[in-house]
Amino acid sequence: MKEKILLNILHEVQDREGYLSEKSLKEISKKYDIPISKLYSVATFYTMLRIKEQGKYVIELCGSPSCVLNKSREIEKFLEKELKIEIGETSKDGLFSVYKTSCIGCCDEAPAMLINGEPYTKLTVKRVKEILGELRKNANT
Amino acid sequence: MQILRETKLEGLKLARKIGRERVLEVLSEKRLIGRGGAGFSVAKKWEIALGVKAKERYVICNADEGEPGTFKDKFILKNNSETMIEGLLIAAYVLGAKRCFIYLRGEYDYLRGELEEKVREVLKESKMKVSIEIVRGAGAYICGEETAILQSMMGNRGNAMYKPPRPTVSGLWGKPTVLNNVETLTCVPQALVYEDWNPDYRLFSISGDVSHPGVYEWELGIKMSTILEVVKPKEKLKAMSFGCFGGIMPVKKNLSISQDTLCKNDCQHGAFSIIFIGERHNVVDICLSIAKFYTYESCGKCTPCREGTIRLVNLLKKIKNRDADEGDVKLLKEFAEHIQETSLCGLGQSCGNHILTSLKHFRKDYREYIK
Repeated sequence: MKEKILLNILHEVQDREGYLSEKSLKEISKKYDIPISKLYSVATFYTMLRIKEQGKYVIELCGSPSCVLNKSREIEKFLEKELKIEIGETSKDGLFSVYKTSCIGCCDEAPAMLINGEPYTKLTVKRVKEILGELRKNANT
Repeated sequence: MQILRETKLEGLKLARKIGRERVLEVLSEKRLIGRGGAGFSVAKKWEIALGVKAKERYVICNADEGEPGTFKDKFILKNNSETMIEGLLIAAYVLGAKRCFIYLRGEYDYLRGELEEKVREVLKESKMKVSIEIVRGAGAYICGEETAILQSMMGNRGNAMYKPPRPTVSGLWGKPTVLNNVETLTCVPQALVYEDWNPDYRLFSISGDVSHPGVYEWELGIKMSTILEVVKPKEKLKAMSFGCFGGIMPVKKNLSISQDTLCKNDCQHGAFSIIFIGERHNVVDICLSIAKFYTYESCGKCTPCREGTIRLVNLLKKIKNRDADEGDVKLLKEFAEHIQETSLCGLGQSCGNHILTSLKHFRKDYREYIK
């Protein structure tokens, strides 16, 4: 395994399959000769690597002070109510997984969130409602 | 802005012309220090790595800024990444490194495509026989710490390690490794090329209750009154937090931003991130948000940090819920001090700063919540 970057390998699999399943971790373990226990240990250390199936859209809402000062808590409450889930869960229709995250570096455009890695900034409840609507529409077409 | 000045590979050309020894001299004469917060001399760091006998050396660009309120490296990655890549190549030239890395935080993955393209372009034009690989971070703040980033790159959990050995002596795969952040590496070619390059300019990340948040470049020692004129508070300001670990203090118009003046208020400038907090907020609420960050980001290696950060959050919640008494506040202070004294890395050692400084400067806010 020397000199290959494991993080990049894990990311590539996750990009392709949406998450790191037991099956894919076993395959990586075999291919690169890394104990499965170590892979599990690494995969569960990083918040952006996930070992459970995720919604089509992974929402990561920033919970850092600049976003809190700019009312991110309202966005959080709205997301939970609108999607009928709590932070950390996936909506029943399998479309949205919602997490709170540490600073995503959009403090000057707070409050902000990432959806599948893309930043959405200067959020208001109205704007988030529109975004969810657009994503739902895209998912159905 | 000085940081946006392009060098178009002139810095690398000059470095090759004058040779590695002279590059180190110039960087030292120009007083280029690391911009991650520790302020260590760049030339000195490179010299140490050069002084270690080794077949291979590595250079890593730390693009894992993640401290709440900090977004200036993102600004450079978006606006002048070519110069940063050139800085990486100059470091590789001086150190004789053949393999370089950019550790890009997972939250900035959307910048990766363009960065990869820039890397290809600059490498091609430079004709240097080195590789630059982008390592994709995955949302762990601790990986901005120099030993944790190495663990992360070597395929382990991003736990902080004991020092010494420092990475410059024994780093990636046991080889001497130089780690510099995005801003530092961008300054390298600029300091070499431009006669009038000013070592005292710093990038400030401004956010919070102001009308014009953003990245600004100011000289060390700038007066708070000047900053406020530019960023325009939305309301009367009560406090400012220097990122998360720099501490919280009242907004004083006459304060000039330098290490000494901030030290007098028990604060540190760190990466020059200032989060302004308006008067309608209780500082305890902001402390709770910062404390949650540390709980979330503790790597879990040291018990005082792993367990203590959770206790800090619970105590702050208790205070916020108006369920606490003076004894809880005393306990909060004791915990914060204890964690700082007994943790291994910078995260644990600074995770109580916001609590200790807010207790000193904003006792009134705590009293508001106490039974």
